[in-house]
Amino acid sequence: MLYKDIIKELTHIVGKENITTSKEDLICYSYDATNQKFLPDAVVFPKNADEISLILKLANKEGFHVVPRGAGSGFSGGSLPVEGGVVVSLERMNKIMKIDADNLIAIVEPGVVTGELQWAVEDLGLFYPPDPSSLKFCTIGGNVAECAGGPRAVKYGVTKDYVLGLEVVLPTGEIVNTGTQTLKGVVGYDLTKLMVGSEGTLGIVTKIILKLLPLPEATKTILAVFSDMRDAAATVSRIISSRIIPSTLEFMDKNSISCVDDYANMGLPADVEALLLIEVDGDRELIEKQAEGIKKICLDNMAREVRVAGDKREVKQLWQIRRAISPSLAKLKPNKINEDIVVPRSKIPDAIIGVREIAKKYNLTNANFGHAGDGNIHVNIMIDKHVPEGFNQGSDKAEFLRAEKAVKEIFELVLGLGGTISGEHGIGISKMPYIGMELSPTAIDVMKKIKQVLDPKGVLNPGKIFPTL
Amino acid sequence: MKTLKQFADEINKCVLCGTCRSVCPTFGVVQREPASARGKVALCGAYLNKEIELSDVFIKQMNECVQCMACKTACPNDVNVPDIILAARAEVAKERGLPFAKSFIFKNILDSERFMPAAMKFASKLQGLLFKGVPEESGLHRRFPLPLIDEMRLVPQLAERFFLEARSQKPEDIGNIPLPTPSTPLPPPAGDRRSQKSEVRSQNNNSRPRIGFFAGCLINYMLPNIGEACLKVLERAGASVIVPLDQHCCGMPVLGNGDIETAKSLALKNLEAFEKYELDYITTACATCGDGLKRRFKELLGDEYPERVNAFSSKVRDITELLVNELQISTPNSQLPTPNSIVTYHDPCHLRRGQGIADEPRELIEMSGAKLKEMSHPCRCCGLGGSFNITNYDFSMEINRSKAEDIKNTGADIVATACPGCMIQIKDGLHRLGADTKVVHVVELLLHSPSP
Ligand SMILES: Cc1cc2nc3c(=O)[nH]c(=O)nc-3n(C[C@H](O)[C@H](O)[C@H](O)COP(=O)(O)OP(=O)(O)OC[C@H]3O[C@@H](n4cnc5c(N)ncnc54)[C@H](O)[C@@H]3O)c2cc1C
Ligand code: SF4
Ligand code: SF4
Repeated sequence: MLYKDIIKELTHIVGKENITTSKEDLICYSYDATNQKFLPDAVVFPKNADEISLILKLANKEGFHVVPRGAGSGFSGGSLPVEGGVVVSLERMNKIMKIDADNLIAIVEPGVVTGELQWAVEDLGLFYPPDPSSLKFCTIGGNVAECAGGPRAVKYGVTKDYVLGLEVVLPTGEIVNTGTQTLKGVVGYDLTKLMVGSEGTLGIVTKIILKLLPLPEATKTILAVFSDMRDAAATVSRIISSRIIPSTLEFMDKNSISCVDDYANMGLPADVEALLLIEVDGDRELIEKQAEGIKKICLDNMAREVRVAGDKREVKQLWQIRRAISPSLAKLKPNKINEDIVVPRSKIPDAIIGVREIAKKYNLTNANFGHAGDGNIHVNIMIDKHVPEGFNQGSDKAEFLRAEKAVKEIFELVLGLGGTISGEHGIGISKMPYIGMELSPTAIDVMKKIKQVLDPKGVLNPGKIFPTL
Repeated sequence: MKTLKQFADEINKCVLCGTCRSVCPTFGVVQREPASARGKVALCGAYLNKEIELSDVFIKQMNECVQCMACKTACPNDVNVPDIILAARAEVAKERGLPFAKSFIFKNILDSERFMPAAMKFASKLQGLLFKGVPEESGLHRRFPLPLIDEMRLVPQLAERFFLEARSQKPEDIGNIPLPTPSTPLPPPAGDRRSQKSEVRSQNNNSRPRIGFFAGCLINYMLPNIGEACLKVLERAGASVIVPLDQHCCGMPVLGNGDIETAKSLALKNLEAFEKYELDYITTACATCGDGLKRRFKELLGDEYPERVNAFSSKVRDITELLVNELQISTPNSQLPTPNSIVTYHDPCHLRRGQGIADEPRELIEMSGAKLKEMSHPCRCCGLGGSFNITNYDFSMEINRSKAEDIKNTGADIVATACPGCMIQIKDGLHRLGADTKVVHVVELLLHSPSP
């Protein structure tokens, strides 16, 4: 427990209504979407960079830990206070400060919900493309910290491609501004890129300057249904090599779809092996042509049915299916080991077939879906960690151990195919044990040194990314 | 009713993904996790794991839920958060005693500086209610001595004559005539030729469908004109309407406060009141009552009286559902002031998500000759939340603000809905916004030009 006088100091900084130590509140800030829980000692709700600066200075002086948190929708445990300390919730810093239509930029506070920014700019005919499936509730700050991506990454890239500049409170409490409000800028090292994807370990982001695009004139949404998963995977590679760049190319396998109630209500064939959800956007005439081209590639590759969404409602329904997959997998088995691997796009069939074989070898339930267009597949191994009382502990434990082995083999497969073990969810605590499989000791050493320089006392978000620090 | 403990599996189904943060109206206002559906589920889980007690903070969080069911609909794992919260309230009532649960509510209003202005308003209205509204001699108030009446304070005014009271003084009313004599339909108002055309396709005159009308507290005490409108529309549609005078509050407000026993006894009394008649359907114009009669009554009485409650609940239809699907009225029957009135429609939570009814009220609006113009979030909660509006008035109106703005932005002349609770709340919200959009029940559109 933190000392009473530290709480007093913190109260002084943020005000009495913006700090809590009640057990009930601490519980509500102990988890994220990994479904794991670590109780903090206190939660504070600062309103600006100055308050956060004071908090971090105090942390350095008194030696307590500070963990930044957006919406707590993270999939790698980044916002969990694994070693206790103070959670800094950015929920109050949720203002869109400026949308500059002349210069195509937006300036936002970190707690702004991604979808809310998107709707606000779309009202002005502008476009903020990064679209994690969690966009209706995750925050831009969390997106920056994880370098979140989404289906549109295949054409538009990920969060890092839109961050022009940041205001960051460093772990030692200094406030720095990185980057520019301009599209170009090469003065000094690129601290902006260093911060993006640093998972809340190198600084707390308090302001974000984002690049916007003009809103594409129109989009077309296509759903292709396959009886053989390999045909679907091959279709992905074929579309990419045909030089049509869809704005979305999502893959879903049978197990993934089976959990989504909405799918059943859409009058689509029940006994399918895989679906592809494909979107093209841009000029109205051009996308008609592209949609035709994609339809043909799908059919040439043995698609059983190809459906082009007729109206907005159908588009919404199709996306609803896709977005519901991840959380509804719990219907297969209560716990999921969720890996967001990426492979070169031509290797998607190899990756998916390989994963299936590994799952089969270890007798595990497996569901795969994701942003196939950029080679990013969410591989889920479903297990039941919960052991009912009086139940033979051995068998379920064995399932968990088998799953761990399978994960390791999947990573070996992915790295062997020239891929990476995490495309967008980050390392946090979930993938910490595996980081050495992908990064060389030298690379890890450089990263640790960077952390050391910025956070000499190790106050900010400890216990993440690197197995020992 | 399932206890909180029996919801353990339901609570474990929650994977803490956070999806419900995007729809939960209390979170929308507070912007802090404990106010979200996910936070509340986590707290219930922690209580069952004995990590926390039924503390004041816990109780406050459980009370700060408008039971809008938006989380349940959005949840990819179908976690029934509103029912978990209801079970938690019942647990509070059981463990800490109902007086505690209740007094906590009042303590909460009166203690908190934030709610002081609301408390003042509350007190003055309450006085009004207590001192002039309730005619002792009617005997009716004793059947409705329930939280809704003493908590529903931002109601316009108590009606001069309660709906049921007015019924009881009309000897020709079918409620008092032994079955099977049907009622005499009210003659259509002079000049309303269109009403003649209204028809009951599936029934001929010899077998008029017999409908029991359930009023509910709000219609009985505050908005009897909606009840009257329903009776007229039903009779014009060729139905015989029976209004049992010994009906009671549906019990949902007390259930919302965790008082299962009172809710049960009210449910049983209502069963008894309607069982006396041979009815084809039982209908109500209140979305919350309807949801209660259909769904909650089974939960409350299903163990003890499964057959009786099933027979009762299977007959219940919302008035819009009854008119469109069962009585199949198809011709316009209205006289709107301007035939081209633009009407927007608010989906009551307990109608759309509770009963799955969304199309029928819209069909009725179009049937009335008005032009329907959708608002941007028609199914966003109005913020009333049963007694939430009294215990957390400012909070409740804060939720309502976006609703009122959405309505105003449509530019519609009239906002129609299908729940007297939503009507009262929306009227209040629009008034605060300085908008003069008229608020009506869909059924009123079928009858006459709605009064402002
Ligand atoms: C159903 C579902 C679907 C998802 N789909 C996707 C997807 O398609 N693509 C994808 O990339 N991710 C996805 N995610 C994961 C998650 O939503 C993203 O990682 C998101 O960026 C997290 O944002 P958050 O606001 O919830 O951050 P949190 O979970 O609160 O925090 C995440 C990390 O960011 C840090 N952080 C938060 N705010 C700040 C700040 N202001 N400054 C510094 N550090 C900060 C935290 O310390 C933590 O390390 C999904 C999650 C769910 C539950
Ligand atoms: S209740 Fe449902 S939507 Fe909300 S966090 Fe739990 S699983 Fe997700
Ligand atoms: S019922 Fe409504 S207010 Fe209550 S937790 Fe669910 S979304 Fe929130």
